[in-house]
This record gives sequence, C-alpha cells and structure tokens, in this order.
Amino acid sequence: MFLSKFSQYIAISLLTATFSGLLGCGAESDSDNVIRVTRNIGGREGFRKHFNTWKAVFERNNPGWSMELIDLGNVEGSEFYKSRIATGDLPEVLMTWELASFLSDSGHLIPLPKTYYEKFGIPIPAPYKGKWYTTQGGLQIQGVVINKKMWNDIGVTEPPATWDAYFDAFHKLKEKGYKPLVLGGREWSAAQPMFFALSVNMYDLVVDPDRPSWTKRKDLGEVSFATDPVARQALEKMIYMAENFVDKGALSDGYNEEQRDFYGGNGATWMMGCWMAGDIEPNKVEFDMEYWPVPSFTGRPPIYIKTSGMQSGWAMSTAASGPKQEKAMAVLETFYDPEVYQEYLNGECQFGEASKVPVTMPHYAWPAAQRLIENMRANLDKYGTTPGFHIALDDMPPPGIYTIMTRVMQEIMSGNHDVDKLLGILDSEWVNARKGT
Amino acid sequence: MREKALNTYTGRNALASLILCGPAVLLYGGFIVLPAILGFAYSLTNWTGWTARPQYIGLENFRDLWSDARFSEAIRFTLLETVLIVLFFTFVSMMLAVILDKLRIWKGPIRGLFFYPYILSILVNALLFQYMANYREGAVNTLLRAVGLNAACQDWMGAAEWAPYFIFMLVAWSGLGFFTTLYLANLQTIPTELYEAARIDGAGPFSVFRRIQFPMLLPTLTTTSVLALITGINLFPQIVVTTQGGPGFRTFTIGYYIYYLGVLNNRQGYAAAVSFVTFAALVIIAGIQVALLRRRQVSL
Repeated sequence: MFLSKFSQYIAISLLTATFSGLLGCGAESDSDNVIRVTRNIGGREGFRKHFNTWKAVFERNNPGWSMELIDLGNVEGSEFYKSRIATGDLPEVLMTWELASFLSDSGHLIPLPKTYYEKFGIPIPAPYKGKWYTTQGGLQIQGVVINKKMWNDIGVTEPPATWDAYFDAFHKLKEKGYKPLVLGGREWSAAQPMFFALSVNMYDLVVDPDRPSWTKRKDLGEVSFATDPVARQALEKMIYMAENFVDKGALSDGYNEEQRDFYGGNGATWMMGCWMAGDIEPNKVEFDMEYWPVPSFTGRPPIYIKTSGMQSGWAMSTAASGPKQEKAMAVLETFYDPEVYQEYLNGECQFGEASKVPVTMPHYAWPAAQRLIENMRANLDKYGTTPGFHIALDDMPPPGIYTIMTRVMQEIMSGNHDVDKLLGILDSEWVNARKGT
Repeated sequence: MREKALNTYTGRNALASLILCGPAVLLYGGFIVLPAILGFAYSLTNWTGWTARPQYIGLENFRDLWSDARFSEAIRFTLLETVLIVLFFTFVSMMLAVILDKLRIWKGPIRGLFFYPYILSILVNALLFQYMANYREGAVNTLLRAVGLNAACQDWMGAAEWAPYFIFMLVAWSGLGFFTTLYLANLQTIPTELYEAARIDGAGPFSVFRRIQFPMLLPTLTTTSVLALITGINLFPQIVVTTQGGPGFRTFTIGYYIYYLGVLNNRQGYAAAVSFVTFAALVIIAGIQVALLRRRQVSL
C-alpha cells in the first residue's frame, strides 16, 4: 500500500517535472529593457572591444536600457537564427552578413528608412526587393599581402598585373629558397585564389542595369561554368598553381597554419582579406608588408575585390516591437557613434564609408600594422575596387559558393586536374545550393 | 469480493503504470516518434529551415534522389566504410575476444586497455586522430620522420587515397573494445564441460574454436554485425570533426550528406527525403541480415 502510494507520488513528481521542463524549453528570462544583439566574436579581441564600446555608448545614451551580447562564435549564425525562428525567439538586433535575404524573405526583418543612411552619410546599398535592412559598415577589401623583403629580393617592388607574372615571380621566390605562397586546403581559406580569379575576371566591373549580371544569367541557365572560357582559364591557373607552388601536406593546413607561416616570415605571399591586418599586433609581426591588388588574366587592370558592397551588417528583427523597436533603432544609430565606429573599423580592419562620421580608417598602435594600413589606403586609391563580388542582395551567388570553391580547390590539391569535371562540380553545386535559397 | 479487489488492484496498477511510464512514453513520442513522422512530412516539402511554413511539393525530392550523383557517391563511400567496419567488428573483435579470454594474468587491465577508447567521446577520438593524421605535426608523420622514413610521410586525412582508411581506423580503434566485450560476455556463458570434453577428445585450440566457440558465438555475431552495420551507415560525427567530407567530396557519407544538404545548404526538405530513404534501406538490410544469420544459427 505504502509502496504503491509512494510510487504514485514519485510518478506524479516525474510527470510534473517533465511537463515543466517541456514548457520551459525555449523560454528564457526576458527583461523589457534589454535589446539583444548578435555578434560573431569567438576569440577575436578586436570584435569584443567593438561590442563593449557599442554597448557602453548605447547604455550611456539610453538610461534604463541595456544591450545584451549573444556571441555567435566563429560562425555567421545561420544555425542559431534557424533554431530561434523555430522557437519564435529571435533577438531584436541581428548580425546578418550573408543572411539578410533569408531573414527578410522569411519575414523576420524590419526595413530601415532611407533617412537612416542619409543621417550618417552611408552609401545607400542596392535595395533588396525595394527595401534596405542593414547598417552596412565600412569598406572591406580583399587582395594579396606580401612580405616586402622577400619580394624585393627577387627585384619585384610593384604589384604584378597578371597571374602569369605572379607565377614567374613565384618561381623566382622558390629559387631563392622562399615559400612563394601560403595556402592551406583544409578549410575556407583554400578558396581564396579561385575566388580572386573568378571575381576579378568573370564578374561585371561596371553595373549596367540593362544587362543582367553573370549570376542572374547563370540562374536563368544562359551561362555556366562549363561553357565559360574565363572559368576554364581560372581553373587552369589554379591547377598550375597547385602543381607548382603548393606543398605536399597542404590539405592538412587551414587558416591558422597559413597565418603562422606568413607572420612567422616563412611565406612570401598570402591571398587574404584586409582583416588579416587586425592580427598583426597579436602575432608581434615586425617585418614590412604591402597589400597588393588582385591580378587578372583577361587584360583587366589589377584591382581589389570589394566584399562589403551587398547589404550587410546589423538589422532589426520583428522581435523589436513596441518600445523595443525605438531602442533597437537606437542601437543601430549608436553603431555610427564615432567612438564605436572607430572600434568597428579597427576590429574588422575596414575603411570608413560613413561620410558624416569623422572616422576614416583603422588606427593601430603597432607600427607594422599601421604601415600596412597606410599602404592599403594608398593602393586602394591607386587601383580601386570591384563594385562587389555580390552586386546587390538579390544578385548574390548562392551562399554556399565559397564552400563549393573550397571543395573544388581541395579536389585540385588532391590531384583531380580534370577541368571539365571540376567545372561540372561548380555548376551542379551552384544549382544544389540555389535550391536552398 | 475477490473480483472487486482484483479490479481495484488492476486499476491501481494500470494507473501507476500509466503514471510511471507516461513521462518516458511522452519523451520518446515527443523526441523520437514525432520527429520521425515530421521528418517524413518534411521530405514532401521544399522547406529551407528559414520559413515557418514549408511548401508541399509531393514526391519531387524522392524523384530528384534517383539522379543525384552526389548521393550515389555518398552511398558508395558509406558502403566501403561499412563493409570494412562490419568485417572488422564481426571477425577481428571475435578473434581478439577469444585471445583475451585465454589470458590468465593481467586479465582485467589488458581488457580495460582495449575498452578504454570506447569510453571516450567520439568527438575526442576523432580530434585525436585528426591530430595524429596532420601532415606537419601529426604523431604518425613525426614518428616516421624520427626513424628516417620521411618519404613515407603522408597527408593521412587530407589525401584522397588515404583518408577513407584513416577514418576506418578511427572507427575501428574507438569501437573495438565494445564489440570485443560483447563476444567476451558470450564466451563466459559457454559451459566449461564442453571445453573439458573437447580436451579429453584431444581437440586443439583451432578445433575448439571451430566446433565449440564459433557456433556458440553466433547469436552475438548476429548482434555485432547489425550494430556494426548501423555504426557504418551512421558514420557522421567522425566525418564532421575530421574531414568534413573532404578533400573535395571524397569522404561524404550518407549522414554527412544529409547534414550538408539540410544544414549547410538549407535544403531541409530534400535532406529529410535522403534520411527517410536511408532509414528504409537500413531497416530492409538489417532485416535481411538478421534473417540470414538466424537461419544459419538454426542450421548449426
């Protein structure tokens, strides 16, 4: 009798605990005066410094309100957002990067007024389905960082204009006993050379509203990698590069090994985005570097790739309703506070684009980093940038394009030199990735 | 009177059973059965994961699967790994169990050493192997260089020709202890009289194995082969941690392909279709395998 009752009490307790647990799933304590903001800080101190400054300025200007960090780690947050959409609990302000189109298509973003951009002198991004959503930020470029001493040793002091000129120089660097190129195949950074070759040579450098871009024509089935002679040439360059300048075992290496090789003075050239300058001081790099534009193989002049042209940055989600919407807007406005914007440019290593904010470029206390930034600025004025790898949000290649290029580079580095097959992979995976958008 | 008491007792029991089993049934239903049913429902949609309402597209995902070359490659690679894993766990574990069963000294510590990798998380094992396989600093190549075999150094998980076997070694190392323990447990149940009778008849170790141990181990062989099959087909965390399906697409398993489609490419509907087809295939294969092995047991 006692046992029977006891077991019933236990069972009822278990049942109650289970129901409570289930009811508690997805719920979290949610203060009325908190604006939650996502950011991909991970282990990057520059990003953390930017967020802390942003938070401090917002809370100073909005007494009684606080800004809470949701750290996405070293990822862009798509998994986090999808799970929060499923539980109906998106934060109020979202770092979007490549995700703005997904979030807006699924009805989770609140558009920003044009006056927001005008207030700070931000270049107005191309609209997505007629609307704007994101803070934007600064000018982010991609190019080639070189070890000045090594390149001077082979007598090259100016950026080579073509891929073949680079390859000639690489041979000379090899003869001098230098590692001409740091390139790992394990992760995303493997795609950099192919991304450079395709971006500069295949994409339209001038946006013509009457002529659909390569991306749009590809989606319509009018062009393909397999039939595009420029794409074929790009892959041939990659194969030559892998055969001649990529070491055995490079498929074990990733971004960290590339960085270690280059900053350790063991490699002459690194095809990397401008954000690499942010790691110069933490790595105590003292030698001189220069940042060169991306060469071409189609007669185009060398140029930097602009990767900040699309709508990207922070956006307001539909979770920001009532008074929270006003405060979420205040968070976006605080982003352009000079103190906050300077930390943003420093952390991301970007150049200022908000003409009404008196901040123009990153500033570092470490001399080698500051010298590189000044060289970047000077070369940027001299060589210019592409209008963007993504011309507009609705003109983006599938978000998985970078992963596809990484995998094709891995194929090349593991000995698959069948250009037709490689082009076929680019085509089929593009279609596959597009089906998810 | 007695009947009433019985009914009350039965009623109480039923209530207690319901209350005691309720939470477990609820959790199992909510977290296993319902998602499985929903998974099939999602396979009939083109859901990306970003929208609240998936769009129904009928059997289109299943039709696409027939011409999906990447899926075929993933099946091929998974089957290669599965064959290696099933053979290894079914037969090598059995051999090892027979050898370990004969140990007279240090029995516990030696068995423990074999079992130890199994208690580590799969992720820890995978990270360990990833470190060992690294071309520059990995333990394997460091050892080879130390003995002057520089030319033998390979990119064990980066090179397409080595990666499948290194992944197999990782799975084999992690699971060997578990599968061996299953056989060892079965070996303990063999009556000692059989061994004594065999000894009196002058049977050698091979005869003892062939005539006594192997037939008696068949029920466990059935279990291990099914478990090994499931291990092979479900190969996923090891791939995510080590090769991420690379180099290129060379080490895509079915599990990784589902993840690639659903998580990395936002094709949740199509990924659900791949999952469902894999599940159905696994049920059929496991059913055939069990039926064949049971028939063999009966005939022996």
